[in-house]
Amino acid sequence: MKNYDKLLNDLAPKKFGKRGVIWTSFLILVIIIGIVAYIDQLIKGQVVTNMRDYALWGIYISNFVFFVATSFVGAVAVAILRLTNNTWRTPIVRIAEIITFAAITMAGVTIMIDMARPDRLLNLFIHARIQSPITWDVIIVPTFLAISALLLYFPLLPDFALLKKHFNETSPAASKWYGKLSLNWTGSKTQKAIQTKSIKIIALLILPVGLVLQTIDAWLFSSTYRIGWDSTNFAPYFISGAFVAGVGALITVIYVVRKVKKLENYITDFHFDKLGKLLALACLVYLYFNINEYLMPAFTAKKGEMTHLDTLFTGHYAFLFWAVTIGGLIIPIIILLFKNGRKPKSMFVIGLIVVIASWWKRYIIVTPTLLHPFLPIQGVPESWHHYFPSLHEWLITSATLAAALLIITLLVRFLPIIPIQRTADEQELLKNK
Amino acid sequence: MKKHLKFRFIFLALIYAVTFSTSFQLKAQDEKNTVRLKTQYVKIMGGESYIDIKASSRINKQNTDVSNIDLHIYNELNGEQIKLGKATTNMHGKTRFSLKSIHEIAADSSNTYNLLVEFTGNELFEETSNTIVFKNINIEANLYVEDSINYISATLIDPTTEIPIADAYLDIQIKRMFKPLKIGEEFNVTDENGTVIVSIDEGIPSIDGNLTIEVVLNESEEYGTVKAIVNAPLGSPVVNESTFDQRTMWSPRNKTPLFLLIFPNILIFGIWGLIIYLITNLFKITKS
Repeated sequence: MKNYDKLLNDLAPKKFGKRGVIWTSFLILVIIIGIVAYIDQLIKGQVVTNMRDYALWGIYISNFVFFVATSFVGAVAVAILRLTNNTWRTPIVRIAEIITFAAITMAGVTIMIDMARPDRLLNLFIHARIQSPITWDVIIVPTFLAISALLLYFPLLPDFALLKKHFNETSPAASKWYGKLSLNWTGSKTQKAIQTKSIKIIALLILPVGLVLQTIDAWLFSSTYRIGWDSTNFAPYFISGAFVAGVGALITVIYVVRKVKKLENYITDFHFDKLGKLLALACLVYLYFNINEYLMPAFTAKKGEMTHLDTLFTGHYAFLFWAVTIGGLIIPIIILLFKNGRKPKSMFVIGLIVVIASWWKRYIIVTPTLLHPFLPIQGVPESWHHYFPSLHEWLITSATLAAALLIITLLVRFLPIIPIQRTADEQELLKNK
Repeated sequence: MKKHLKFRFIFLALIYAVTFSTSFQLKAQDEKNTVRLKTQYVKIMGGESYIDIKASSRINKQNTDVSNIDLHIYNELNGEQIKLGKATTNMHGKTRFSLKSIHEIAADSSNTYNLLVEFTGNELFEETSNTIVFKNINIEANLYVEDSINYISATLIDPTTEIPIADAYLDIQIKRMFKPLKIGEEFNVTDENGTVIVSIDEGIPSIDGNLTIEVVLNESEEYGTVKAIVNAPLGSPVVNESTFDQRTMWSPRNKTPLFLLIFPNILIFGIWGLIIYLITNLFKITKS
């Protein structure tokens, strides 16, 4: 009984502390500034961005690709770890589900930000051509969003019922809301049977849909006849990249949540060690696809490819390219090979570096290719030859990142981020009760 | 007094200069421009004969097409002028006067035809005329096969005397949409029999397999332009490779490939079917 109460006290949502309020306020401020910049973009048009005839996809699209990639963590944590019977996943799955939901939501928002005329969004459905990868994207993003929402919600039902009781006396309003969200969960056999069956379906569904999402995201690029994108390697390259970005984001968020919520007893060094190995595996696979992606074009040395690769290896984007490859991929692999490298603190640093590198990696996938068309860029203003995001683009993109973090923050605030019922079941505490 | 006379002289000189220059300008304004007529006699074997006329003028140091002027065409014979008709230039200064047949006009004793194109002048342009002198000549073109190679032979012959014309340049060409495709040598010169023989390569593309071969005596000073046209079923038919009516990845959406209609829709409806089923499960949980 005492253990059960401790579990509930430890894992039940708690009010923000001072730091939580400051953090949330900061995110809201960034979002407001971004909204103001976006309204200005709507009024003046996309001329406020630095996207022009050649660099027609910029930071918005690379940010979209980053969000899509990060959302893959739900498929990894839930489906892959579940299907491989990795029971250590329990304390991390909900955070993975939250990240997935936040990332795919913001991916949908970001793609609309990139549209010069968002009022024409409906035309994407009315005039949809099923041959177009854009249409596939328009279909798959809401589909994955729906599945990730269900993935988050179904396992929460018993926890909502527990929280309803838990807050019954201390916070009746919260208890009322948790009660509504629990959908009259009593833990009956029928309810458990329906819930278990539903979660199984979702776990089986999210992996192929997640793979399709990443594949379509890659095909958006590889189905165009462009240097750097026109590659049969692109879909697995994107999937492995998403694996890295997702696990990196998961490790970073888990570390922060563990520290803030003092969950060291639930999310232990053991979990970080396991996640570290998972990230090392992800990075190795991604490194393999990176070698494929750059070595073969460099070996065959077609003129256009060489111009593109020169820009990446030694030219304008060389610093970014080597920073994300060495700093964001090779060094993390080396560090993660050592047990000490898989300790929480170093894992947090590595996770953060991997996430930042993943973001910039999408930038150097999108932009340099657009600035290397087959026909030379001629007869246009000098500024069209280059691309670097404008202030509007930075503010709006920062706002989308802040919004994703705000969704995560709020969900972490109001949801039990470690499944209470499941943990209790595993510890057989409820049985004792 | 001397000074006074000098002043009067300068004043008179100025008056005279102004008056003279003004009258010169008026005279210059009254002057009409000259029309230049460029004429070309063309005869199509087995078809019509016509005269292509182009009228232009040098105005303000620029060559300008003279449009909408009436030109009268006469057949000159033994000092007499027999009117054949009238033609009016278009906006490019061009007109074509059709003779229908060479038999419509008469030749002089040396079998030479003399035509006169005359412009009678108007308020802007002076009258002018241009004489066209030519002799009648025929091109006889035939196809034949020798050692499985297709040839075209063309003979240049004077129809009056039936004497073949040697050492004349003939162009052998295939009619194309923009510019004719020349075949044979760069210069095909008629032999002592007035004949040129040119082989026709295999595989020359044509829409329906038919080639329109033209044998042309081009802008001859003596005979004008004479053209014989031969239709030869020797072309390689162009296969229409347009995918306009096919279901392709690049077609409009009403021509989506069937596999792309079937399989993705099965996936989409299958997945959304499961999503709807899962949502109904939430209702079932509420009620159970």
